[in-house]
Amino acid sequence: MKKKVIASLLIGSVALLSAGDFNAQAEKDRKALQEYLEKKFADRKNANAFFPYSTKEELDKNYKWGIKGDDFRLGSYAYNIGGKKQYEEMNEMPPYEDAVDAGKELYEKEKGIKECFPDPAIAGDYPKFVKGKGVVTLSKAVVACAKKNNLKGWKLTKGKTAKLEAYFASVSKEKGKKVNIVIDSKEAAEAYERGKKEYYTQRGYLKLSCATCHVQGAGQRVRNEYLSPLKGATTHFPVYRLKWQGLGTLERRIKGCNKNQGETPHKPGSAWTSELLYFMAYMSNGMPVDGPDIRK
Amino acid sequence: MKKLLVVAALSVAVANAGLVDEAAKLDVKKVCDVKANGADKVIAVAEKFNPEAVKLQVEFKRLGITNRNYIKFTKEAIKAKKKEVVIKYKKKKKEKTKKFPLEYAAWRACTFAVRSLQQVKEAEKDWHLAVPGDGFKY
Repeated sequence: MKKKVIASLLIGSVALLSAGDFNAQAEKDRKALQEYLEKKFADRKNANAFFPYSTKEELDKNYKWGIKGDDFRLGSYAYNIGGKKQYEEMNEMPPYEDAVDAGKELYEKEKGIKECFPDPAIAGDYPKFVKGKGVVTLSKAVVACAKKNNLKGWKLTKGKTAKLEAYFASVSKEKGKKVNIVIDSKEAAEAYERGKKEYYTQRGYLKLSCATCHVQGAGQRVRNEYLSPLKGATTHFPVYRLKWQGLGTLERRIKGCNKNQGETPHKPGSAWTSELLYFMAYMSNGMPVDGPDIRK
Repeated sequence: MKKLLVVAALSVAVANAGLVDEAAKLDVKKVCDVKANGADKVIAVAEKFNPEAVKLQVEFKRLGITNRNYIKFTKEAIKAKKKEVVIKYKKKKKEKTKKFPLEYAAWRACTFAVRSLQQVKEAEKDWHLAVPGDGFKY
């Protein structure tokens, strides 16, 4: 009996060790990103090295310094003083509140949705790697569930899917859920690596990578907007964007980024988009779920 | 049968890598020079490389117009011996039209097709350079 227990404990530990190994590189990447961003926004003294084109006045007046870890969940509002003020004003009457209610109604009344997602506090658990299916984002899971139940009008980018996700995010936030992206197989680690490569690859006629704006460019001012950081980029979705005058999912946002890069956008739900989101979400692992939210 | 499929897949892969490598060796300014080569030759270069860009999901798009549309409508203008290219495309489900001089449209289609594949080659080593904890030093 003793031998059996020891043997199963050993097998269990080996399995645990190897499961841990699959996200070893992702953990290194996540910590290195955090270290870089924290150094960049640590204090005014280092600012000239990271923001060579900003004026002294701009660095003195427009930025908040000493930004750390979970602060980045606010995106650029973590360090952009003027933007944060506007954000707080907009959030006095959040335009996404109706969407949360509508999402709750969809969850309770639409056929089969509750059966697919018995626990609605799941916003931080996606994207997931599923053997045989690849990376499944929350939008993909929702649309697949709707399809299975013969429900019509569910898109990956907005509408009912975004509303249901708003409800999921709201419940997750209330329950204090954190982003918990799992990489527990060789295939999952490969999907993560492909997503990472695409994130850092320069694309389109403007030759911009996602990182150009959201890693190296995080905090830089483009016209009157300050670019947001990769860390925390996925924690607050779905978002109500003023530009859209409505709610949208991560898939919708990525499509917009592709357009801005000067490239024919990748299809929402494609392996390309899902693996990119898998990498992006992992970079926010451990941060609190903070959606839905509002962005310009 | 399986072997045949594997051989076919490998041949396609080799052919694809060939187009990226071939594009990487080109001097864009020279091959896409409409004055020196003529619009028909320049658009032929675009036609050769752009389908590969589409397949690799790196096709360029500007002003709401995909490069395959720049190529399609530029070819039509050349065939009709017109000096202006009229491009029809859809934006947010609405029909739109834009007009470009022939030389400009041919040059754009060609540079977009070649550069998109050149960037694939450049990215093979460049992407690491931007990763904190890897190639990015600060």
